[in-house]
Amino acid sequence: MNYWEKEIETLPRGEINKVQVEKLNHIIGVAMQSEYYGNLYKSKGIKPGDIKNIEDVTKLPFTTKQNLRDNFPWGFLACNKKEVVRLHSSSGTTGNPTVIFHTAADLDNWANLVARSLFTAGVRDTDVFQNVSGYGLFTGGLGFQYGIEKLGALSIPAGAGNSIRQIKLMQDYGTTAIHAIPSYLARLYDVFLEEGLDPRRDTKLHTFVIGAEPHSEEHRRRIEEMFGVKAYNSFGLSEMNGPGVAFECTYQDGLHIWEDAYIVEIVDPVTLEPVPDGEVGELVMTSLNRQAMPLIRYRTRDLTRFLPGDCPCGRTHRRLDRISGRSDDMFIVKGCNIFPMQIEGVLMKIPEVGNDYLITLDTVGDNDELIVEVEVKREWFSGDLYKLDKLTKDIIRKIRDEVLVKPFVKLVEPGSLPQSEGKAVRVIDKRVKI
Amino acid sequence: MAYQVSVFLENKIGHFERVTGILKDVGVNIRAITLSHTTQGWGILNLLVNNPEKAKEALTEKGVSATLREIAVFAMGDIPGGLDELLKKIAAAGINFTNAYGRNIEIGVMAYLAVDVEDIEGAEEKIKAAGLQLVPDDEVYGLKDS
Repeated sequence: MNYWEKEIETLPRGEINKVQVEKLNHIIGVAMQSEYYGNLYKSKGIKPGDIKNIEDVTKLPFTTKQNLRDNFPWGFLACNKKEVVRLHSSSGTTGNPTVIFHTAADLDNWANLVARSLFTAGVRDTDVFQNVSGYGLFTGGLGFQYGIEKLGALSIPAGAGNSIRQIKLMQDYGTTAIHAIPSYLARLYDVFLEEGLDPRRDTKLHTFVIGAEPHSEEHRRRIEEMFGVKAYNSFGLSEMNGPGVAFECTYQDGLHIWEDAYIVEIVDPVTLEPVPDGEVGELVMTSLNRQAMPLIRYRTRDLTRFLPGDCPCGRTHRRLDRISGRSDDMFIVKGCNIFPMQIEGVLMKIPEVGNDYLITLDTVGDNDELIVEVEVKREWFSGDLYKLDKLTKDIIRKIRDEVLVKPFVKLVEPGSLPQSEGKAVRVIDKRVKI
Repeated sequence: MAYQVSVFLENKIGHFERVTGILKDVGVNIRAITLSHTTQGWGILNLLVNNPEKAKEALTEKGVSATLREIAVFAMGDIPGGLDELLKKIAAAGINFTNAYGRNIEIGVMAYLAVDVEDIEGAEEKIKAAGLQLVPDDEVYGLKDS
């Protein structure tokens, strides 16, 4: 058996579009039960049944994170509060938190999408799955938890952090699969070494599910090398439930985004017009199943593109390229637009470079400087000043070739960069604002 | 030939001291040091110690980037012209080096010069051919009275 839900996963394109049109007309009606969509759609004369074909979705207005914040907390709730059984929320450090409500049926649909995603990545009910993810308001904890249970694998709700205990759990219960953020796995590997253990020899791990922070293909390959496992890219965002939105299959060539549950568009972040197929733009999503809080044409800020062609796995749901950044991650130095992921891509291809790095933007005199702190791998250090000097020059040249700005590169001792418990901090902007 | 311990060090308060603290804890004695720095905020610390293996192991275990580098150690007279005489012989042997540092052994009598040479393997033959004498390892490490 290769599919979790064969019929849905291999539905022909025409059928997918038909299902989407039907569901969209229905969900417009549901959404209009909320104060926000009710007022907005009535004022624009939008009603269920307006959508005749899938292209009609572009006639609907976009929804933004700011809309969610402005209508915090109940403005988007489309059902009776009595029906709501759970909420997930962002930390709200930069304004009102973003809160998403779920009915019991919403949670069940979500769990099914996570189960389908994990199955797609080769996880089975015979696996022992350790979820190394914060439980609580963050969706990576409970989101995966319910999906693993739906799939029928043995779940270990390990939570985040405490590497020694994580390793002990893996050894005690023979963990075969893990979900974690990629920067944590690189750190965990160091702890294995410090404990005199080799994850290839001393664990039964074969599958990693990595997501929640952007990472390059090179970073993924490194993690696979270190642990001797296959690492599959997971994509989700709390506004669209959380994990289980798009997932890599065993071909590891793009993430199938579940089009029976979401309408997916990619638009130019400036003009908001659809980009030509295959070009990078901002991902815009519509939730088709959620009852408590449907979101229609939600601007995710994530930048990606559709991969052309069919996937050999037989799934017809289109594939997204790995997220290349967020439209608001981009920074400008000396007139050049730079995404952190471009710099990571360069660094991870250089074998002498370790897994951590930090980009700092600072004002020196009248100039903006791009400062990149890079770890040098311990085992590569030979005590030779010339080699280190040559490495520094090499890194400078390769970054400049990629981003067109000459960086100041500083080699640092392994483990000396600030480490955060959650998502890795990769960019610090200390520039004087004019 | 003997080994020095080379350490990658960021130029930040407390980083050097962290290294010496680790060595103190494992009872390693330092016999000579040099510290070179670059304009890029880091440098390399070279240490001549009584037990290089133990020092490297202890440092690596604590996450410090440390490695062993083979060096040539020569004896010279602790008198005016002692170093000059030695360097002339090294130059005549056609040996180039990138770093060097000295250590006094007996005042007015003898000192050592530790030399980080380019192409350490080729250098060993040149040293022999030129009739230069290397200080035996146990004397470099101070395990035996010289």
